[in-house]
Amino acid sequence: MASKLLIAVPSKGRLKDQTAALFERAGLALRNTGHERGYRGTLDGLGGVEVVYTSAAEIVHELKSGRVHLGVTGEDLIRETLADVDGSVEFLKPLGFGSADVVVAVPDCWIDVARMADLEDVAAQFAGVHGRRLRVATKYMNLTRRFFAGHGVAGYRIVESVGATEATPSAGTAELIVDITTTGTTLRANHLKVLEDGLILRSQAHLFASRAAPWRASTSKLRAAILAKLS
Amino acid sequence: MAAESAKEFEALEAQATTLLDLFRRAGYEQVAPSIIQPADIFLDQIGEAIRSRTYVFTDLAGDELCLRPDLTVPVSRLYLERHPNADQPARYCYNGPAFRFRPQGDDQAHPREFRQAGIECFGEADTESADVEIVLLAVEAVRRAGLKDFRLRFGDIALFYALLDALALPERWRLKLRHHFWRPPVFHALLARLAKGERPNGDGPASALAASLTGLTTERAEELVGAYLDTEGLPLSGNRSLSEITARLLDHAADLRAEPLPREVATVIDYYLAVSASPKEAVERIAMIAKGAGIDLGGALSANTRRFERLAKSGVALGQAVFATEFGRSLEYYSGLVFQIEVAGLDEAIGGGGRYDGLLSYLGAPSAVPAIGSAIHTERLLAAVGRGG
Repeated sequence: MASKLLIAVPSKGRLKDQTAALFERAGLALRNTGHERGYRGTLDGLGGVEVVYTSAAEIVHELKSGRVHLGVTGEDLIRETLADVDGSVEFLKPLGFGSADVVVAVPDCWIDVARMADLEDVAAQFAGVHGRRLRVATKYMNLTRRFFAGHGVAGYRIVESVGATEATPSAGTAELIVDITTTGTTLRANHLKVLEDGLILRSQAHLFASRAAPWRASTSKLRAAILAKLS
Repeated sequence: MAAESAKEFEALEAQATTLLDLFRRAGYEQVAPSIIQPADIFLDQIGEAIRSRTYVFTDLAGDELCLRPDLTVPVSRLYLERHPNADQPARYCYNGPAFRFRPQGDDQAHPREFRQAGIECFGEADTESADVEIVLLAVEAVRRAGLKDFRLRFGDIALFYALLDALALPERWRLKLRHHFWRPPVFHALLARLAKGERPNGDGPASALAASLTGLTTERAEELVGAYLDTEGLPLSGNRSLSEITARLLDHAADLRAEPLPREVATVIDYYLAVSASPKEAVERIAMIAKGAGIDLGGALSANTRRFERLAKSGVALGQAVFATEFGRSLEYYSGLVFQIEVAGLDEAIGGGGRYDGLLSYLGAPSAVPAIGSAIHTERLLAAVGRGG
């Protein structure tokens, strides 16, 4: 067990299917094993590797703590969750799926707002008129804070949102949002527009290596073998 | 916990007794506001620097709460609870825990849980005397605790506002500069834009629409903007109203017409914000800058002269002290004097404080309440004294 390489892959949704397809194409098809239905597996044609199925968000924590050596998850989750990204994980390979942009979007009727700099002015005006700060609905609290601070926008409050974020401005529970978008269709359907300089992160799924995992000669060799097959 | 060993706990307790004794004898009533505070009212008024480090949580009833990151807001709320009309002066002191998330981890110099000992003075109409009283008491407190070697740093938000008021510039630019005072990089970028003759809002897609609103009444402008939204298929939604959107477009229209900010005006602001010297020298330099610009800072500057004279007379050594015009840009509720007590070799202050005349009306007071306070980071004070400070 100690000499085995542990690799965490998403356990559900499109990320799971796309990861499975990628490994299959590389000749390393994922195989479920054991009685714990679906939670553990192996790689076809490469011994000494144990596959751990878990959620994309949980994979970030597994990588950080070093409970797995490798993991497939989204860059957005890595950058949102880890305080010290480069000290915790290594970006081994972008995988070409799971693409999503994390963006700042406002109601499209805000024709006086085009850029982040406008937002701080609106925040000051809004506080004067409504007696409270602008609310930003998002599940990306840390990405939002860093990005807004970098643009000198401070007159806002974050309201945590874990679903249907794009509906919060028209519902009146937030004034603007930070969310992921792939085609922009959902944003447009909700009468939202992305600010000109409102792209926070162009994210996709990556293969990550944990810096905290116990790397030995054997596991490093397995990692090189997987990477070579995926390339 | 901040005090992990029994010995450290006892030392902190002894120090707290010394501080609170002094505060109470000076006429400050001891209070103990709630540790758990409503997140909303709290986070709306505190600057981003501390807001992003506040522990916020939702309780089982769905209420959003926080562990207080600071005691000034809780004590202010307590004052308003006792005096809803805010019509009586009151002086309070306290010693209790505050909590801040430390992105780089919890360590001795930056504990996530620490104890603040402090004083707050509400409703004292003689603000100059209250300013001096608070600084003297804070200095006396760290001295009583055994701190010998420290220096004071001063700033004054009201003086900066007086400078902006005295300079000739459009009111909307003045408001914008005031607003961005708290974020120096944005402030300097804005000032540079204005001085170069650029418009604060550039020429966004709505520029043409904004230009067409020039000279219209507010009602007529709103009609036009409403019609534009209809034509473009952009239904009004959310909490910002048509009049708010129009107001910003009208500002933009005025910017398009305005003369650029004279370079001399930008230079005066830059020179002012570069002043950092001993109080005496700083006040002289600011007076020279004002004279050169042909403006009168009025009472705001002479208030500083008198304040430093009174402090010196009361035995506060100002030889090592610094007056820095940029200082005080971290807590957005400050409105006048700000100060902190620094020790060589420590990157963060032992204590500090300032005037926050606007905070109580934000918290619900029916009128503005003059208020000033100071808090001491007791673990840091104890460590500094222990090192022979």
